Amino acid sequence: MSEERGSRGRGGKGADKNKGEARPRGGFFRRRRVCKFCADKIDYINYKDVRLLMPFIPERGKIQPRRISGTCALHQRKLQTAISRARQLALIPYVTD
Amino acid sequence: MSQNRQYELVYIVSPETGEQETADLHTQIEHIVQRFNGAIEKSENWGRRKLAYEIGHHREGTYVVETIRGSGELMKEIDRRLRVTDAIIRHLIVRVDEDLRVAERHRETRKASQARRRVARGLPPEPEAGERRGDREMDDDEDRIEGVEVQR
Repeated sequence: MSEERGSRGRGGKGADKNKGEARPRGGFFRRRRVCKFCADKIDYINYKDVRLLMPFIPERGKIQPRRISGTCALHQRKLQTAISRARQLALIPYVTD
Repeated sequence: MSQNRQYELVYIVSPETGEQETADLHTQIEHIVQRFNGAIEKSENWGRRKLAYEIGHHREGTYVVETIRGSGELMKEIDRRLRVTDAIIRHLIVRVDEDLRVAERHRETRKASQARRRVARGLPPEPEAGERRGDREMDDDEDRIEGVEVQR
């Protein structure tokens, strides 16, 4: 949905053709907009797999929002539970200062 | 029916605990599992690992993962036991069978639809090795972050 919003105002019918690619938008480059879990066909997000979860945890230790990571709703939900579990087990920090 | 659920138990043993005592904890759990007619399907020790944050003044701990098949009462008992054991600084029990079943179903559906599409394009249903470009580069090296090896 937000894809459409991004290309609005530039008026081109074919403007949203290059969906997946990073494109300038007010000088700001969009990150990849494909869900990593859909693309890599990961069905079960394992909470013990720190290497899988780490890209979704920016410096601060918060969970990266969907609008930035591009994760689909289903997988973001699964990711959320996986991260909470990993946090309980001290595999991932709750906060980093 | 409820006897046949799969659980994953992860517990962190405090770093002061010796190898022998860690093994004892494992046998204790084994006894409880046997008493409730369950079965330990897999047990792995990750060894000593740094904790992401301090738990009760501990900075590291020994992680042990057990896959247990059994009933909810069994896990309740284990949970109670681990709670009162001082050597265990943290533990987590997760029921996994349903999630794994869902994942398995997803995989099957995808495989079936892939085969269907391939047949429609006049190709053999199974992709051959090396046919797809991404096959080799799939296990990416660039975002490797220090962590334990876990197989999915």
